[in-house]
Amino acid sequence: MFGRVPVARRMLFAERRRAALAVTGVAVALLLVFVLDGIFAGAIEQVTAYIRTSHADAIVSQQSVRTMHMSNSALAPSDTSRVRAVPEVAWVAPIRYATGIVVTPNDRQLAYVIGYQPGRRGGPHSLVEGREPRDGEAVIDRVAADGLGVRIGGRVQVLGRPFRVAGLSSGTTSITNTIVFITYRDFGRVRGSAVSYIFVGARPGTSPDALRDALAAAVPDSTVQTRSEFVRREASIVRDMSADTMQIMTFVALVIALAVIALLLFTTTLAHIRDYGIVKAIGGSPSQLARSVLVQALWAVALALALAVLLALGLASLINRFSDNIAIVIEPASVVRVAVGASVVAAIGALLPVWRIARVDPAAAFRSAA
Amino acid sequence: MNTVSALAVSQLTKTFGTGDLEVAAVRSVDLDVTPGEVVLIMGPSGSGKTTLLLMLGGMLRPTSGSITVAGTDLAATPERRLPKLRAQHFGFVFQDFNLLSALDALENVELAANLAGVHGAPAHRRGTELLERMGLAHRLHHRPDQLSGGEKQRVAIARALANDPPVILADEPTANLDSGMGREVARVLRSLADDDRRAVVIVSHDTRLRDIADRVLWLEDGTFRELDAMAHDPICGMAVETSLDHPHLDRDGTIWYFCSTGCRDEYAARTAEEAAPPGT
Repeated sequence: MFGRVPVARRMLFAERRRAALAVTGVAVALLLVFVLDGIFAGAIEQVTAYIRTSHADAIVSQQSVRTMHMSNSALAPSDTSRVRAVPEVAWVAPIRYATGIVVTPNDRQLAYVIGYQPGRRGGPHSLVEGREPRDGEAVIDRVAADGLGVRIGGRVQVLGRPFRVAGLSSGTTSITNTIVFITYRDFGRVRGSAVSYIFVGARPGTSPDALRDALAAAVPDSTVQTRSEFVRREASIVRDMSADTMQIMTFVALVIALAVIALLLFTTTLAHIRDYGIVKAIGGSPSQLARSVLVQALWAVALALALAVLLALGLASLINRFSDNIAIVIEPASVVRVAVGASVVAAIGALLPVWRIARVDPAAAFRSAA
Repeated sequence: MNTVSALAVSQLTKTFGTGDLEVAAVRSVDLDVTPGEVVLIMGPSGSGKTTLLLMLGGMLRPTSGSITVAGTDLAATPERRLPKLRAQHFGFVFQDFNLLSALDALENVELAANLAGVHGAPAHRRGTELLERMGLAHRLHHRPDQLSGGEKQRVAIARALANDPPVILADEPTANLDSGMGREVARVLRSLADDDRRAVVIVSHDTRLRDIADRVLWLEDGTFRELDAMAHDPICGMAVETSLDHPHLDRDGTIWYFCSTGCRDEYAARTAEEAAPPGT
């Protein structure tokens, strides 16, 4: 960068094929980060879908239990009526919950089993076929049904008992499991009468926070969270479980990006090393030359980032269209994170070329190139 | 120091190595170049010409002595300030043209203006004017590989003028040009002194440049010698010292001096052939 003349960009793109290949290489490495981030965000969205779409303003659970994922909650039978007695409460929906397996003669799948009262809150958010369950019936997710090879009217085993499939829901299968809905009564018959969670709706004019505080005062030996707090906790459990893997994969991808950027900058620098000597001879300072390399690095990263975002969006669209249990969500925060990471990588990749240029002797311009 | 000097050099010395390995490339050289003057420095290979030029351009630290341009002694200037001094006070013309291959002609010239602190439209205007002056108005956006040797050197001269320097340092500016292009470049260099009152220092082997020089200095073994007191090798034309320590030959009472024993032997063979009676 020397004022108006875009020396850095001209040098970087003087050999277009090399620049294009390197930018593509960096873009693929960044794409890997985007896809990992996207799968992660998609998984969180899937795992929290049931709570997010529950319409509950607050959720009551056993003391110190703050999630459904990897948790077990049991409330006292009297808690439901204590909650209902709180003046700020508009509606109450107790649910029973356990981790289990849904089994067909052909296949089996890990499932969260929810026992709810049909016609009230706590059931499937979206029924795409059939109807809510009656006793002896279950609603399973459409994607899980396809995988298990079962249709409406088919038979499945849930919690060791046979159920007839009465309906198909959507949006309740994730990369790891699915949700099966049975009646509150059936669940109680199989696993006992304990209530796992109580979904609570606020009266008009009552904020979720106010409802939470009122419930916490009325049922002090339990944990009360607003829906968004509950979702955040669920997300953090998924995040904590996957964080190490994600960090390692992201690190590997960024190291690949670093290697490609460093190689591009170094080969570009070597290809123009005499030019740098000439610029030094006619008055270019070491800091100006260093800026030139950094500008090249930023150009490479900016182009690679743009390409990676386009590829990631395209790939996410394809995967979301053709895969029902894997969701890729490219979030703006992910783009910002990758951009910052890639910029750091670019700066590191520029170190060696900058060091090399600092050693260029301006007197080299007076030596014959032949 | 002459008060009107554009470039004043005093007792300039450069030695490489130490102890028994110490070699003096330039020894106690004095030189004043006034505005509007063209000084041609000639000399055999290894005589210290390039070392001297590098020191004059602030690219090589002298061992001792001073180089004063625009009131600043380059020899005493901290290393970090030298790039700015080069960008503001010197124009460089190189043997290999040394244009940046990734930039077009105009950008090459604008870049030098940018380095001197002129940016944007003024730099663009300056670049365009200089290239037009060099007769290259139709080549502004051509890259170096699309230009002839003469055009490249004229772009390089335009670049050397982009910062409006008081001193032009040219290293073998005609070496890679045919005779026609060489004459044209020589004429342009002369005009820089005559029209712009710039001091032009040329280092070259090209004897044709003597025609445009106000002074010709002969550098040999790191010191300037009086060119008038020198002879010319009759084989290669190089100026050589009239010393019996150099290869020489006595022909009919005339002593001929040579740059090397090779030239002397060739001359001896040639004159012996001419002197031999026909048929022998």
